[in-house]
Amino acid sequence: MKKTLSLIGIFAASVLLFTACKKDDAPATPIDTTNNGTFKVFKVGNVTSVQNLIADTIIGLTPIGQPYGANKYTFFSIENNTLVASSDSATTKWDIAFRGTTILTNSGTSGPGNGGAFVQIGTFDGLAAISADSVFKTDAAPVYAITTGSGKGWYNYDGANNLITPLPGRVIVIRTASGKYAKLEITNYYKKGVTPAASAGDDEKLHGQRFYAFRYNFQANGSKTF
Amino acid sequence: MFLGVKTTLQHNKINALKKLMFIGCMLISFINVTAQNEQPQDSTFSKELNEVVVTATRNERKLGNIAVPVTIISQKTIQQAASVRLKDILQEQAGLFLTSGFGTGVQMQGLNSDYTLILIDGQPLVGRTSGVLDLNRVTLGNIKKIEIVKGPSSSLYGSEALAGVINIITDKSFDSKVSASIRYGTYNTMDANITASTRIGKLGISGFINQYNTDGYSIRPYSVERSKLPISKTTPQLQLNYPLSSKTNLNLSVRYNYEYIKNELAVSNNGQIVYSKGREMNKDLNFTPIINHTFSKKLKTSLQLYATRFEGSQKLDISGGQGYDDYFLQQFYRVENQTDYTIAKNISLIAGIGYLKEFVNSSRYDDKNSRKENEVKYGFVQTEWIPFKKLTFIGGFRYDDNKLYASAFSPKIAGKLILSDKINFQASYGKGFKAPDFRQLYLNFTNTSAGNYSVFGALEAQHIIEVLNNAGFIKQYEDDYAKLQALRPEYSNGFNAGFTAYPAKKIQLQVNVFRNDIKDLIESRLVATRVDNTQIFSYVNIKSAYTQGIETNIKYILTPNFSLNAGYQYLQTADKDELKKIKAGNFYYTRDANNYSVLLKKSDYLGLPNRSPHMATLKLIYEAAAQKWFANIRAIYRSKWVVFDKDGNGIYNKQDEFADGFVQLNSSAGVNFKKGFRVQAGAENILNHVDVNNLPNAPGRTFFTTVTYTLNKKIKQ
Repeated sequence: MKKTLSLIGIFAASVLLFTACKKDDAPATPIDTTNNGTFKVFKVGNVTSVQNLIADTIIGLTPIGQPYGANKYTFFSIENNTLVASSDSATTKWDIAFRGTTILTNSGTSGPGNGGAFVQIGTFDGLAAISADSVFKTDAAPVYAITTGSGKGWYNYDGANNLITPLPGRVIVIRTASGKYAKLEITNYYKKGVTPAASAGDDEKLHGQRFYAFRYNFQANGSKTF
Repeated sequence: MFLGVKTTLQHNKINALKKLMFIGCMLISFINVTAQNEQPQDSTFSKELNEVVVTATRNERKLGNIAVPVTIISQKTIQQAASVRLKDILQEQAGLFLTSGFGTGVQMQGLNSDYTLILIDGQPLVGRTSGVLDLNRVTLGNIKKIEIVKGPSSSLYGSEALAGVINIITDKSFDSKVSASIRYGTYNTMDANITASTRIGKLGISGFINQYNTDGYSIRPYSVERSKLPISKTTPQLQLNYPLSSKTNLNLSVRYNYEYIKNELAVSNNGQIVYSKGREMNKDLNFTPIINHTFSKKLKTSLQLYATRFEGSQKLDISGGQGYDDYFLQQFYRVENQTDYTIAKNISLIAGIGYLKEFVNSSRYDDKNSRKENEVKYGFVQTEWIPFKKLTFIGGFRYDDNKLYASAFSPKIAGKLILSDKINFQASYGKGFKAPDFRQLYLNFTNTSAGNYSVFGALEAQHIIEVLNNAGFIKQYEDDYAKLQALRPEYSNGFNAGFTAYPAKKIQLQVNVFRNDIKDLIESRLVATRVDNTQIFSYVNIKSAYTQGIETNIKYILTPNFSLNAGYQYLQTADKDELKKIKAGNFYYTRDANNYSVLLKKSDYLGLPNRSPHMATLKLIYEAAAQKWFANIRAIYRSKWVVFDKDGNGIYNKQDEFADGFVQLNSSAGVNFKKGFRVQAGAENILNHVDVNNLPNAPGRTFFTTVTYTLNKKIKQ
């Protein structure tokens, strides 16, 4: 009997041990508690962060289930850290514009500015200077300086789970409308900066998307080093 | 001096020779000594070691003499665990990981369920959906035992036996016996079995029928969607045996399984709830006539015919919407001859030839009336050599000549050394393959309920995409479009090595280390994007991967009545291309807690998704004297597993989304009364672990009770 009891003890201990192993060893994600889902711009050192930039959120589904928005771009000035009214879309007041996953630069077919961009693989901090032989692309609709399409430009679309994720390790190097330089990293595409779980419902996935979070470092003096 | 040198050389040579001879003599005497150390007959484990296994070598061999990893699940184990479907008992094995999606599948040695061949009495079950053979299709009501062979077994079984083989062996006794059991439990789940067998003159007859019903359940709160749908399954089986003479035996088995599933769903579409009604039917027929003939003690042969068909249909009607009508029919016909020949006392040989033909019709392909077909001619040979009493070698190969794909050559070699009654070693190498299936060649599927993405089979994809492109529907061809070509079989090279030790009289320790290198894995890849941004996928031979790990099992007989069984598997997997890129550096990135990109560390890489690196089982079993009653408690542990590439870097790493690890606790107890009555009751998932998304096939805590009656006496003829 004693043996039996001690065995039950061992058994219970191992069950506990197994349960203890459950602990999540992925790094804990400190959700930005100040992020309440509204648009916000703030600067820390040389880096400006933008939260919840709404980029034509989904207002309905087509009969075959394709989501659609109002089809309007949201314009943003990197030089002034502010949103720009869409009535100024034909001016050089804005540097980049967002609609769904499409990002415009104030260049070519998109605007009158001297803008442009290219996507470089690496980390935001790792990009210390724009190399001299870099080629800035300009917009020539339907081809844009920041390539559209899953896995091609800045994001990945998972068709099975219906989720869009900014590709990690992509720095968008931007030439502003006035010809100055910035490096930019898109950090999230969903409201409050949190990508829904793959298991989340369709409503959360559809209505939570098209909320950009990104950070950038702009060199007002026209320098190519950061 | 010259001579002296020569002499020295000779002397050295002689010395070396002497040494060699000495070592040789030592070895021989050692072997002679150990040869006398037969597996102890009175050992606690001798009964188990003397159990006959047929799956590993395709002839009858004692478990204790088999050189490849084999697990036997006995009828008693199945009964005491109160398992009713194949899934129930397989989930209690440490090295097997059950998957959900297209039914319940089984991962073996970290390989997907596509790569495990499932046999009933040595004949393959067909009718896989997306590579998964639903383990719920098989009742355990008349199962004598289940043999699980791990490691590539294509040398004997051909395609699909890449990770291993699970052979379900039905009870083929023709004693005069009637047995009936009924089990009832939570969710109105009922499982009833009737078995009757006898011999009329020389003719042995055994009949069996199983009926399984459940109301199903919903583990998703506030939803009419059923996690498990109401199902009714009926499985009758008839087995006949007729000895034509003392040397010739005729056997016939006919088995049928019918499943009917009701599905009532509420789908939310753009804020509107759409109600839908679905009906699913699966019919599974196996027909197996076999003639065995024994020419002499040394020579016997068997001619096996096998015909099977699996027919599945799914209909969905949606209120005011577009439903679907899915149909799948697979037919499989095979004729096979196997001859066993004992060449000498210590050398035996088996050789076989076979021909199989397969047909598939499906609405998942271009047209359900267009029949796809394949045929395979094959031959295999295997020899067993026992140079010393305690040393066994097995070598063999199989050649499959495939009509639709490249032919496959699958060798296997294995050895076992029984060093002493305390320890024995075994090692094996085998090559396994899996031919591309019809789905990978002909699928024509568009998911209208999620994202409108399409998957086209490799044989059709290029043509369909070209037609779409000419009609202006294609926005762009993706990089992997160029890789579309005729599919080749997927290959693996599998190594297993391990030992069984008896550190104490009542303790058995088994350890097996495995490594499977798989190449030409067929994966679905994005090949084109439509103008409306919906994605088109197809299949390409693209991936190389490995799975490796260690599996251990400890049995401890504490008292004659009380035993403990603990199993553990550690698993590592990797996609070889991904691993190469990570090692080269500057290719894969992930995100830190602030969503900022950082370079991925190799230590964060997890390899293939949907696999638990740690799996364990712990079972405590008590059996009263004279089998009056028994009780057991069984714990199953699975560590968390990665399910979704959350950071979008294309690979699976620690920063991605996981399913929670869990412990499932099951318990059951039973009493054997006089006159053949047995009553059993139990609870499953006592800790009530529920995971709506990742374990849709696992209900919360459930209870059951079973009553069995067996009448076992001679019926007057």
